[in-house]
Amino acid sequence: MTAVYFVLGAVFGFVLSRSGAADYNYIQMMFLFESVQLYGIIGSAVALTSAGLWAIKRGGRTATGQPIVIPVKPLHRGNVIGGLLFGVGWSMAGMCPGPILVNIGEGKIYAVAALAGALVGAGAFGALYHRLQEVLGLPPINVGTSGG
Amino acid sequence: MPLIIDTLPPLHWFAAGAGIAAVTLILLYVGNRRLGVSSGFEDVCSLVLPQAYFQRGVVRAGRTWRLPFLAGLVAGGFVSAALDGDWNLTWNLGVFDAAIGFGPAGKLAWMFVGGLFIGFGTRLAGGCTSGHGIFGMSNFELPSLLTTLSFMAGGIVTTHLVYRVVFG
Repeated sequence: MTAVYFVLGAVFGFVLSRSGAADYNYIQMMFLFESVQLYGIIGSAVALTSAGLWAIKRGGRTATGQPIVIPVKPLHRGNVIGGLLFGVGWSMAGMCPGPILVNIGEGKIYAVAALAGALVGAGAFGALYHRLQEVLGLPPINVGTSGG
Repeated sequence: MPLIIDTLPPLHWFAAGAGIAAVTLILLYVGNRRLGVSSGFEDVCSLVLPQAYFQRGVVRAGRTWRLPFLAGLVAGGFVSAALDGDWNLTWNLGVFDAAIGFGPAGKLAWMFVGGLFIGFGTRLAGGCTSGHGIFGMSNFELPSLLTTLSFMAGGIVTTHLVYRVVFG
């Protein structure tokens, strides 16, 4: 299955790269409302994924017959606070997490600094989890803020 | 507008949206995995950091699929940039160069700070554009709607401050 995940990642990365979703200029144009490209990408991806999810959940089984399991993301204050912070970073870097890796593959040298920052940021979050959990009322550590 | 990497025309937004939906749905139907990239940062952290947060079963269990998926993202970017027969290392940062004009050291610092916000913010929010914006929104999940509205608001305000106020 490792090869399957690698290929799916490569297709995902290729599409993000060729569509502007991993392009600094397109991200700024999205946030300045100067281009519909990214809104069209996200909107059509959500509409089509939603239809597909309905069909897959209706079947209830994976291709190999296992029950479909979709981990639920908990609701907590980190959704809004973390979302706002992530938005600042998405604007500054012109990359969200997937495109950081895509930009590195594209040969954009500065993307390595964005990856370093993201790993330090995620590391700091994990190291501070107990304190943040008290202050913000986050879910217990075995649940976490959720994956994804 | 052309992409930064080359002069080939960008994919139509609907083709790109369909491609992203296909990857998301195959990941679930074949692998029983919920799309999400930002947890991959925790997976990488879990390889070197001993804190209990990173050694939880839920983090370690994700490594077997997320790490190859992340490697695939890098490969997909490489193939895309090599498509015109010309892959190059570049410092080109598009409108940033025209409006702000920092050199390499300044860009690295800017990107590192941006990365801190991305890593900390996505983990606090429990997901990013893929896990909340694509998967969660498609599945009508309230936390994902709140997170998506929040990161769009954060990005809109920041880009307007940078390009309309500070460097406008």
